[in-house]
Amino acid sequence: MSAELVSLVLLGLGYLSALFATASAVERGWIPRRLVHHPLIGILALGVYANAWAVIGSLGVAHQRGFGYLAYYLGAAGAFVLAPVLLLPLQRMTRTHQLSSLADLFAFRFRSRWVGTCVTLLSLVAVMPLLAMQVEAMRHAIHRYTDAASPGLLSLILCALIALFAILFGARHTHVHRRYDGLTAAIGLESLIKLVAFLGLGAFALYAIFDGPGDLQHWLDGPGRVHQAQASQFDAAQWRTLLLLFFAAALLMPHMFHVTFARPLSRRTLLSAGWGLPLVLLLMALPVPLVLWAGQRMGVADDIQGAAYVIFALSDSPAVTALAFVAVLAATCGTLILSALALAGMVLNHLVLVAHPPVEHPDLYRWLRWLRRGLIGAIILAGWLFAQAVDANTELTRLGLVAVVGMAQCLPGLLALLYWPGANRKGVMTGLGLGVAIWCAGLWLPLLSDLPPLLAPLDALLGLLGDEAVTDSPAWYPVALVSLGANGLSLILVSLITPTSAGERAAAEACSVDAVIRPKRLPLNLADSDDVRRRLAMALGDEVAEREVTRALASLHQSAKDARPYALRRLRDRIQANLSGLMGPSVAQDIVDHYLPYRRDGRAPKEDIHFVESRLEAYRSRLTGLARELDELRRHHRRMLTRLPVGLCAFGDDGEVLMWNDALAELSEISGEEIIGAHRQALPAPWAELLGTILESDKDHLYQEAVELPRGLRYVSLLKASLVDEPAADAAGGTVILVEDHSEMKWLENELIHAARLASIGQMSAGVAHEIGNPITGISSLAQNLRYDTTDPHVLETAEQIQTLTKRVSRIVGSLVGFAHGGRHVTGSDFAPVSARHLADQALHLLKLARKSDDVRYDNRCPARLDITGDEQRLLQVLINLLSNARDASPANGLVVIDAGEEGERHWLSVTDQGPGIDPSVRENLFEPFTTTKPPSQGTGLGLALVVSIVAEHQGKVEVESPLPGQAGGTRIQVWLPSPDVHRPAGDMPIHEPNPDR
Amino acid sequence: MYVYRIMLLLVFCGYLLSPLLMTGWGQPGNAWYRPFLIWGALIALTLWLEQKRALDER
Repeated sequence: MSAELVSLVLLGLGYLSALFATASAVERGWIPRRLVHHPLIGILALGVYANAWAVIGSLGVAHQRGFGYLAYYLGAAGAFVLAPVLLLPLQRMTRTHQLSSLADLFAFRFRSRWVGTCVTLLSLVAVMPLLAMQVEAMRHAIHRYTDAASPGLLSLILCALIALFAILFGARHTHVHRRYDGLTAAIGLESLIKLVAFLGLGAFALYAIFDGPGDLQHWLDGPGRVHQAQASQFDAAQWRTLLLLFFAAALLMPHMFHVTFARPLSRRTLLSAGWGLPLVLLLMALPVPLVLWAGQRMGVADDIQGAAYVIFALSDSPAVTALAFVAVLAATCGTLILSALALAGMVLNHLVLVAHPPVEHPDLYRWLRWLRRGLIGAIILAGWLFAQAVDANTELTRLGLVAVVGMAQCLPGLLALLYWPGANRKGVMTGLGLGVAIWCAGLWLPLLSDLPPLLAPLDALLGLLGDEAVTDSPAWYPVALVSLGANGLSLILVSLITPTSAGERAAAEACSVDAVIRPKRLPLNLADSDDVRRRLAMALGDEVAEREVTRALASLHQSAKDARPYALRRLRDRIQANLSGLMGPSVAQDIVDHYLPYRRDGRAPKEDIHFVESRLEAYRSRLTGLARELDELRRHHRRMLTRLPVGLCAFGDDGEVLMWNDALAELSEISGEEIIGAHRQALPAPWAELLGTILESDKDHLYQEAVELPRGLRYVSLLKASLVDEPAADAAGGTVILVEDHSEMKWLENELIHAARLASIGQMSAGVAHEIGNPITGISSLAQNLRYDTTDPHVLETAEQIQTLTKRVSRIVGSLVGFAHGGRHVTGSDFAPVSARHLADQALHLLKLARKSDDVRYDNRCPARLDITGDEQRLLQVLINLLSNARDASPANGLVVIDAGEEGERHWLSVTDQGPGIDPSVRENLFEPFTTTKPPSQGTGLGLALVVSIVAEHQGKVEVESPLPGQAGGTRIQVWLPSPDVHRPAGDMPIHEPNPDR
Repeated sequence: MYVYRIMLLLVFCGYLLSPLLMTGWGQPGNAWYRPFLIWGALIALTLWLEQKRALDER
């Protein structure tokens, strides 16, 4: 084995070992994630665009066309400069719907597995020349580096090692969208090596062959001018066509689509690639003329083959040749690996799985993984075989251009996919068919055979159109023009004259850059996630169904118990997207449509407002300009509805809850998050029935409906309005309902009714007083007469008592009338000093007339000399009412104490009992009329209200203490009265202070 | 979005006018690095637009 061969083996193995080590280190987490996910790594990985064309082909093109070689770099740079308008929408689509290839994207957009299959077949056929270009470059590099007799075999061994790397690090996970950080980092490293090696060669040319930039310029202005004059520039049309082709290649080449969209490059990376990748390409393009001019100066780049491989002829130094070999190896490896991975996924999803659906496969994941691995190896082998089939003298750039023109046939479809919702599958298929047929006949087939290229008719056609550039043009130019023209025109014409299906229109909305995405709210025949799992198991088996449902739920952060129609729709969409990443959109859609179908009830589906809002919230930071302002306005209006201090909810026509604002969440104690998206019938009681009543009712309101809520009985009023202004098919529709808590209003109404009843009693009491007053006056007169008719002391005492009692009756009746007609109370001019002790005795005396007072003991502790000022009869009434309450509350043989005293300028009277204390339920309303805990036949609840009324007439106040300090029960009611000299006009003093805790 | 429109306009104009540039590059007497300088300037412009867009989105 020669030294060069050993060196080649060492270089090859060392290089591949570096790739393996990098990928392993990343996958094992030895390199910080922050570094691995840095945009620079992503940008370098995108540098895989610079393949064998960049390090070998460009030199040949530069030799022939001067600076025309820049078309290869500038076309791709243009595509990435347009990242915000071109790449980001594509990335959004591919991520949302888990589309990992161009075929997935086409099949999803045009709702046709045939479109996906056609794009896959085209990619497979078109990429073969690209793979062959890499293999040929590798073979030539081996030959020039080692001068080995069988470079083909060595290139096959290298291809096998590359395939092994791709299988190990690129097909580890079944789901394409899983992170492949290791592979991305390895491809990034490759780009870096390629860049450094090529820049090193450029620097060698500039400083070792020339003496720096000045010497180079001197040479160019002198002897070099001859070489430059030999190069014929592209004419303008050819240059623009080349730019367009390489623009398309940067997007459409399977390996570029794979590294840009299928690999999870972050949005930041993609935007940074807008300037980052052009910079990488600039650095790759810079050494090309330097190396070529150095070769020309040395006389080793006088023909195109010599120019193309001039990097191996710059120096006899093994280091420089090794650098050239490494540059070629790095440029070809990445393209081979990523092309194989991308094509394997496409062939698997659009050929294998379409022909052999994986329904109920025993071990689906494993089967898919091994299938993918086999395909990767097969594709790299096919590339090597294709290279053997092609004439060995074929220029590398010809191979590259055949691949680029072939993949460019997808450009009209891609542009229609993004910008023209009217395009349909028939148009795309016709366009692709026509374009690919011309391309195959004009460029691809002539690669493999000596058949004369079918260019004569094309030349004639373009000549008729007046394009003189065709006359002396390379083959790729007329083929590219005619095939792309025919492709685009037929796509437009056929799409215009044939109908577009509803499914395609829906997908077009999801794909279109400018169209508003309007997801529909279709009903599902699913009860919950278990139901989803059961049905999916019929297609995928229990284990896969379980894993896919669990994975979808986890990515949605959704509970398995969530049975809201909204949640189930999201689950279905996520499962479809995940299955799409696993086995392509066509198979995924078939499975989901068949096993998790929507219910078609004939009604036009409505927009999923909640989903639209959720997405807007998620994308908010990306909105700019007018869109941002409109979103601010939307948020403002939404905030108004959410924060509205009245309960508000909205329902779709299908009964789904679209909104549930904060006030309603507080009233119902059901948060909006858990209820929005649920069906009305799934609402907890009593809301399902209550809201159902008004939704199904012809009336637009329900007034003060009694509902039992967690916080007790409440009265709510409901008002509804339709959200449809006019019958439009795409209107959101639905009903909005206002829910107002009218409980307090209802209670106020009850109070009002109660007050009206009291007023009626007051009016009645006036009549009763009048009716009672007459007989009482009669009785009093008769008792008066009796005093004159007898001297019997017992009779006289009885007459006296009758008179006293009749006076009391009169005063009670008068008090009742006074109470009923509030404000008609006595004034200070009627007040006189009254002995507190005498007053208490008198009250006790009257109270003892009642038999039920027998079992209660009374203790009058009022000081004998204490006089209080007031109306004696009304104060007596106060005491009687207080004592009778104390008596009723006291236990058998209980003690009731009456006391009085003086404190500052006030007098007080108190009644204390040993009862159980005041019931807490009546404390708040203790002084209000009809407040009582006694049975209806034993108390009216007017006693204390009368006491308060009388005390207020005396400008005093009433205080209640219950239970007594340090005791479990007992009540003390204390009446405070002002002393005679501080009586003020009524109304200046607080009437009473219900201070039961004192 | 106005930044994107500028970008679209820039790329489209560049596409249409690029043959003129290419003819100029090949003229004898021109500095060999001129195309790369123009290219570098365009990259700097794109970087500036990208940073402006990033600021708008904040």
